[in-house]
Formats: sequence, structure tokens, C-alpha cells
Amino acid sequence: MTPDLCLLCIILIPLAATGLALIHQGLGRSRSAAHAMLATLCSLAIAAIVFVLIGSSWMGFAGGLTHTLHLAGKSIDWLGAEPLFATSLTPNLTHGLYPAFVLAFGIFAAGLASLIPISAGTDRWRLAAICAASALFAAVVFPLFAHWVWSNGWLAQLTPLFGLPAFTDLGGAAVLNVLGGLAALSVAWILGPRQGKYADRIAIAIPGHNIVQVLFGCIVALIGWIGLDCAAAILFYRITYPEILLTVINAVLSASTGCLAAVVTTQLRYRKPDASLSANGWIAGLVAGSAGCGLVSPLATIFIGLIAGALVTLLVETLELRLFIDDPGGAISVHLGAGLWGLLAFGLFAPTTGSRPALILTQLIGIATLLGVMFPLIHILHRLLNKLIPFRVDADGDWQGMDIRELGAGAYPEFVVHADEFVPR
Amino acid sequence: MILIGNLLIVSGWLLVLASLFLLAGFGERFTFVVAGLLVELLGLTLTALRYRSLQRGPE
Repeated sequence: MTPDLCLLCIILIPLAATGLALIHQGLGRSRSAAHAMLATLCSLAIAAIVFVLIGSSWMGFAGGLTHTLHLAGKSIDWLGAEPLFATSLTPNLTHGLYPAFVLAFGIFAAGLASLIPISAGTDRWRLAAICAASALFAAVVFPLFAHWVWSNGWLAQLTPLFGLPAFTDLGGAAVLNVLGGLAALSVAWILGPRQGKYADRIAIAIPGHNIVQVLFGCIVALIGWIGLDCAAAILFYRITYPEILLTVINAVLSASTGCLAAVVTTQLRYRKPDASLSANGWIAGLVAGSAGCGLVSPLATIFIGLIAGALVTLLVETLELRLFIDDPGGAISVHLGAGLWGLLAFGLFAPTTGSRPALILTQLIGIATLLGVMFPLIHILHRLLNKLIPFRVDADGDWQGMDIRELGAGAYPEFVVHADEFVPR
Repeated sequence: MILIGNLLIVSGWLLVLASLFLLAGFGERFTFVVAGLLVELLGLTLTALRYRSLQRGPE
């Protein structure tokens, strides 16, 4: 491991969160812009605190203490067992610097993943509920799956357990993006669509209020994503210096091809490129490329990014028009859809000395675990939480906007007049 | 229907897990993992259809 480089990469990760925050508040309505940004900050803050207090213990690290389940003569490592409150770190670094690096990385990674669902709940998800959901995510959901994949849990030990290659997620396509995307899907289902989104069962476009911020957010997210991909791959897969450079190249290539694919797809479908979908294509490329960032060849990355960009435009339309899922920021399509594609693409394109079908099978097992264990867990937790702290703002708040309703002041008090403020309700 | 959908999703994963523990041949495992994934997708589809009907309101 190269500690200085790893630290630098970890420090870059908040820029990914900044980019995503700019994107989802820009794609929401102006009347909820300040609320969206504050929700992002609160989510990052709560995730950081809860992860240090609880989540880091359950995520653990490779070589650390674990809970093991004995099943059919096999030892299944299913949860970290480090002391709570990260107390093992303070007196002396018994395992060297590695646990401290994993903790520092986990703080940002848990925060980044926990803010993805805010994008799907923009304009109607209450701040208290966002904070509570972020706490649950950073305490339970993220550490559990991160342990399975990154801390030598059972998905990383498929070779000794079942004679298959280990499930691989170099940059967090599964641990951050698919988990965040599943949470976004759950939140969108529980919240239901924004008022005025569907009239007579026809979807009405509610355009984002600041597309310039959205596109700026894409550039900022690229820098953060490079840091995220490199930090995760250095920490959990010990990639070498040339592979770190390949990670940087692949991140730029996947984002570029994702964006261009979305531009071309929207040009062909709507006769003009769509800026918001193209921004989603950029992030989708980053998400899909992160699964194999330091190992997959640039040519394969270009293909992965192209498919991700085209896929996201189709998914956004399908979710909105056919499944009646109102996802203002496109989080489900971008993080869940492109993340799953990236995981599968790793199986298809990653260099391997063993059997290619076995690698694909391993990635499918990981995908099945995400859908079959993590989604029900997230959905049950969200539904229980919704009983305690109702997720959705009341009908008046929906029209008024989350800024006035929950914060008492708008983001742009002197500049914006809402066209429908005077419409009878 | 949401409950049935979620049960199907979990059942799909149990199929995948069972294939790892009980089967040794690669082809058999692959078939069972794909079958498990299809059951999960069926569960997700059922859940999605139920939420869609809730959000569209009565016909």
C-alpha cells in the first residue's frame, strides 16, 4: 500500500459527494434547493458519526475480529467484531495504519452512499426522516455489505469456501452505488410521486431548476470519483502504481463515454440532446466503470461506459412512464442500473487467468445477494422507520416547497416566483 | 402483494445460497444461480406492480 497516495485519494472523496449534491439539488425544484443541500450535509455528518460509533465495528477490516457462522462444515464470516466506538484505534495502532485508513475511507464512503437516496426523495422527503435513514444506512446496511466484500467476508472468500473466484468490486459499484440505488428505490416507493407529477395517469415533466449547477456537479464528481476508485482499490485490492494510473484513465473514459452515449441517445430519441440525462449518463459511466476500475482495459471501459450511458436514458424513461416512480435526480437508474451493469461487465471483461464463466457466476452471486438480501433489509428498515418518523411532508408542504416548510426560508428569496403559487389547490 | 414480492426476492437468494452449499458441478450451480436471480426479478416485478397500482390510484 502507498499510504501518502491513499490518504490523498481519501481526501478527494468528499468532492464526489459535492458533485452528487449539486446534481440532485439542481435537478429538483428551486423551492427545495436549500433543503436538498442541507439534507446532504446532515446526511454526511450523521453517517460519519454513526459509522465511527457503530458501523466501523461491524465493517471491520481484513485480518480483524469477526463473527463467524458455522454452516455445513464451512465457516462463514458474516460480520465484523471490532470494538464499538472505534476504541481499538486510539490507544495504539496494533494492526499498523491499515485499520485507521479503512476507518477514514469508510466515513466518507458511508456518507456518500447514504446521500444517494436523497436524490430520489427530493422535494418531499422530510429532513428528520433523511437523518434517521442515513443513520440506519451507516450503522447497519453499509457496514454489513462492506464487510462481506471488502473486509474478507464470505463474498470475498468464495475461493476457499466454494472454489469460485472472489466477488470483486474495486471502486464501490456494489458497496456504495448499488446499495445507495436500492435505498433510493425503496424511498421512492414509500414516498410516492410529487404532487402534480402525474395528472390523469400521464407523467408531467418537472424540469430541474439549475442545469448549470448539475453540469458543474458532474466535473466535481469526476475528481471525487477518481479519489474514491483509487482509495478503495488501493486499500482493499492492493493495486499497484500502474493500476492506479489505469484507474484514473478508466474513470475519465467511462464518464466521457457515458455522457456521450446519453447525448447521442437523447439526440436520436428526442431530436435534441437532453442536458439532465447527459449529466446522468456521465455519472452512470463513472458508476459502471468503478466496478473494475484498475483492472479492466481502456477499450473495455469505453464499451462499459457507452452501454451505461445509453442504459440510463432508457431506465429513467421506463421508471417514470411505466412504473410511475418519481425519481427527480435519476438516482435509481444511475446508481442501481449502471452499478449492476458494471458488476456484470467486470465478469465479462476483467482479465482472468481462470475460467471466465466462473468469474461471471461469482459476479451474479454478488448481484443476487444485493437484490435478495440487501434490498429486503433496506426496504423493511425504511418501512419501519416510516412508521416512527413519517417520510413524506404533508400536502401543503409539497406545494409550498421544502425550504419554506422545513427551513422557514427559501434558497433564492428575491429571485424566484413559482408559476403555480397562485393556482387554487 | 408487496409481502409476496419480498418473500420471492428472499427465496431467490436462498436458491442461490443452496446451489453453493449443495451443488458441486459448475453447470448445475450456474443454472441454479440464474434461476435464483430470475425468482428475485419476479419478486421485484410483483413489488413494482403493486407500488405502481398504489401510485396510480384506483382504475
